[in-house]
Amino acid sequence: MMAQNNVEMRESDRPPLSNARLGVLVLLGAETMLFSGLIGTFLVFRVGNVTWPPPSHIGIELPRVVTGINTALLLLSGYTMFQAWRAIQKDSVKQLRNWLLITGMLGLLFLGVQGSEWVQLIRNGLTLQSGVYGGIFYVLIGCHAVHVLSAVIWVFIVFGMAMAGRFSASRYTGVDTCTIYWIFVVALWPILYVLVYLL
Amino acid sequence: MLQWLPENVSTFGQGVDNLFYAIYYLTLVVFILVMGTLIVFLIKYRHQEGKKADYIEGSTTLEIAWTAATTVIVFVLAMFSYPQWNNIKSPTQFPENPDVVVQVSGKQFNWDMTYPGPDNEFGTDDDLELENELHVPVNAVVHIRLTSIDVIHSFFVPQLRLKQDALPNRFINVWFEATKAGRYEIPCAELCGFGHSGMLGYLNVHTQADYDAWVQERWPQ
Amino acid sequence: MHDTEHASHDHEESFIRKYIFSLDHKTIGKQFLIYGLIMFFVGGGLALLFRWQLAYPDEPLPIIGASQQYLDEGEVVTGADRMWERIYDSDKEEWLETNMPSGVITPQFYNMLFTMHATIMVFFVVVPILVGAFGNFLIPLMIGTRDMAFPILNMLSFWLAVLAAIVMAVGFFVPGGHAAAGWTGYAPLSADPQWTGVEWGQNLWAISLLIQGFSSLVGSINYITTIINMRAPGMTLFRMPLVIWSLFIVAILLLLAFPVLSSALALLIFDRLAGTTFFSATAEGGGDPLLWQHLFWFFGHPEVYILILPGMGIASELIAVFSRKPVFGYRSMVWAMIAIAFLGWIVWGHHMFQSGMRPGLGSIFMTTTMLIAVPSAIKTFNWLGTMFRGSIRFTTPMLHGIAFVSMFVIGGLSGIYMANTPVDIFIHDTYYIVAHIHYVVFGGSLFAIFGGIIFWFPKMYGRYMNDALSKIHFWLTFIAFNCTFFPMHILGVGGHMRRISNPQQYEFLQGFEGMNIFITMSAFTLGFAQLILVFNFFWSMYKGKVAEQNPWHVNTLEWEAPTPVPHGNFGQIPTVHRGPYEYSVPGEESDWIPQAQPEHAPATSGD
Repeated sequence: MMAQNNVEMRESDRPPLSNARLGVLVLLGAETMLFSGLIGTFLVFRVGNVTWPPPSHIGIELPRVVTGINTALLLLSGYTMFQAWRAIQKDSVKQLRNWLLITGMLGLLFLGVQGSEWVQLIRNGLTLQSGVYGGIFYVLIGCHAVHVLSAVIWVFIVFGMAMAGRFSASRYTGVDTCTIYWIFVVALWPILYVLVYLL
Repeated sequence: MLQWLPENVSTFGQGVDNLFYAIYYLTLVVFILVMGTLIVFLIKYRHQEGKKADYIEGSTTLEIAWTAATTVIVFVLAMFSYPQWNNIKSPTQFPENPDVVVQVSGKQFNWDMTYPGPDNEFGTDDDLELENELHVPVNAVVHIRLTSIDVIHSFFVPQLRLKQDALPNRFINVWFEATKAGRYEIPCAELCGFGHSGMLGYLNVHTQADYDAWVQERWPQ
Repeated sequence: MHDTEHASHDHEESFIRKYIFSLDHKTIGKQFLIYGLIMFFVGGGLALLFRWQLAYPDEPLPIIGASQQYLDEGEVVTGADRMWERIYDSDKEEWLETNMPSGVITPQFYNMLFTMHATIMVFFVVVPILVGAFGNFLIPLMIGTRDMAFPILNMLSFWLAVLAAIVMAVGFFVPGGHAAAGWTGYAPLSADPQWTGVEWGQNLWAISLLIQGFSSLVGSINYITTIINMRAPGMTLFRMPLVIWSLFIVAILLLLAFPVLSSALALLIFDRLAGTTFFSATAEGGGDPLLWQHLFWFFGHPEVYILILPGMGIASELIAVFSRKPVFGYRSMVWAMIAIAFLGWIVWGHHMFQSGMRPGLGSIFMTTTMLIAVPSAIKTFNWLGTMFRGSIRFTTPMLHGIAFVSMFVIGGLSGIYMANTPVDIFIHDTYYIVAHIHYVVFGGSLFAIFGGIIFWFPKMYGRYMNDALSKIHFWLTFIAFNCTFFPMHILGVGGHMRRISNPQQYEFLQGFEGMNIFITMSAFTLGFAQLILVFNFFWSMYKGKVAEQNPWHVNTLEWEAPTPVPHGNFGQIPTVHRGPYEYSVPGEESDWIPQAQPEHAPATSGD
């Protein structure tokens, strides 16, 4: 679009980041602040309560081990996404497709495990209405899950575009922006895992 | 403008008023200087045929000068304010051994006053609950345990120069010492619902003799 | 996020593509402007209603009251009454009957009026006009590019704002009424319907602001990307006009601040609809009564600067152009704005001095807050310096620029009282803060908006606004504004609380009845003066004097574009050779040198 909009712009005047990449990075600034608000809320409750979880929730254990394995899955998907990004730089559309597919599947797997954990927790009596402990757990983790879901959808869109042969080594903005977003969503998770599950 | 301030009847109120006056005169002088300069400039440098504006891009000296001057004024003002603020609001600096302790609890749309009674403990049989009427002796240190049972209210006594929000499920300590007997209003200053306007209690500051009589009447011994 | 299919459209576009779902930044800017002006009248009308109640508590409103009385007696059925009848079945409670029985405003309705007045003015008037209208119209033109980086997102931003306005408007007509917990929506009051009796009104309020948050997010991504990536050749950062700098900084503030409000709003909606207890301290396992205030003001204070910074930028343009002088201390002006934006993040606690926050924090927040006086003073002195030894033209935009500076001085100085913790104990939540916010946001931002509209109108519509009407509007507004809001300082000193519907219920406020009546009279004058502006605006669009390409002899790039500005803005993208304020350069014949004019002498310093 740069080329279309500013035909006169000389090659040397090209900004270091394309509009799309810069736009996604700017978006991540806003996402960071959104999560800052929620994490801040979590910390207010965490610090404000002498015992955590509050006495009324004794007996409910968050699934630390399963979630730990799930964390590893998500981190792995960050690696596979990075491989997809590397592949298109080497102009290997086939590898791009494979890595994208693996990434999307890992994302779905992560969501599936999270979902089954939630079902288990709700059966154990931890619901949205269980005071601030349950409330902030579901809102914070759920907000991240929504982000993973949208990132997965984005990955599959990019996958579809890759199937249609829309990318090459000189033309891969779609992969690029998706990678940035995916890495953000992946990198955010360990912070939440440590804060919510371990501390 | 400051003659509109309600009469001050608390020990710390004079300190608040002094700061109010100091800032008033400070800002008044700044205002007159800035507006005066502006008006002079507008008249003196209005467009006149054949006269061109001077090309002035700025002056680093001036920028540094007014940055430094403002910073100094700000910090001096802040230094004078810390002690006043701490005196009124920091529980660690409250006068110890209060003469009266009362719990004031905001609710939609009344102030509940609870006196601990002779045993000085809340939650016992000799507690006295009054709606919207607070009784204290003059020239005595009063501690208030401020709380709310529903939403946020704000305990405001204009003549005491005292305002403090009352939070549900929290107790905030407030103190004052009234210097003049009389009956003063305690409006709620924080929006608390459709009855906010008119949520009104009364602070009755009695002479010591009157207060003793009031106590005698409530807890006959 | 992908490359859009947008390209220069040389072919004729359909009416809908051209005026409704337009991708052109200029059209979107004008759409935001008209949107803002419409909402300005909604917000202002609400204010006049509650001003009536404050001056004449519990007396029937003049026109509505009379017609309502007729209605009670079963006589007159006006068009408006029929409209209400259609909205509500006759067997349901009538809207007017609920909110204004016999034309008297109920306390509940009063709370709703001031809540919605502030919400609309902040989120639907000042931000859409300053950021949406001026940002969209000016950024591509002033940095010399053909459009925004993401035109489709730009269009989305406007239509999300429209959707937010519709959702907000629906709230007025749901049972239980609209949000009535103040524009700050303090929880727990706002978090549980049992405290206010407001059911879906508050939910719609929160949902509408969430949508407005998306609109702002999309807009600010666009602004930031455009300003970083798409400046014309030679347009270095320090050759950008100050209004672009201010919009750039504001876009960053919006980007980072609004998501915090969104998180708070989401929690509020969960509290109201899903049974969580984040803000309800009284419930079992309940939350924190101050949490909402921290989240809200962490957003809210940067928001205050979002409301004023573009005004500062516009005023800087006006004052430099009509003093025919460079802006005094251009770089320190930029750094002062950055300083204000930065300080905006660490002062939110000054809204909470009396809230029960730890007193030690109060002292820290007082210090950071009073520090804002420093960059504000720098800016004020620089505006004075810009006029010093100038050649001042008293055009109507310049009058607004001067009014901006004077009103900002009052608004800034009155801020020091409230920043000072001991004094704030007394004036917190009184009319003093009401006076302060209006001196900053009306006296500041709105005068800049009016000045900016008159100044850029020739570029927007190719015609001048009628100058006689503009001058009448200016003087009426200036006088009525000061008569309305200056006495509020005195009310504040007298301890008059804000947000009370009937001051006569209080013994110590008995002396203020006359002043309240005076304020209300002035407010009505102020309101009617704005009709002149709107009439002038739409009349001049079609009947105004045709303007030449650069009527005010301005240096910046937007005046290089032909009038009316075509799709794509410039024939050839201009190259920038110097800073934006090269007025009255010694040795030059004309007193202005456009940024795009090539050098004719050996290179001189550009900025």
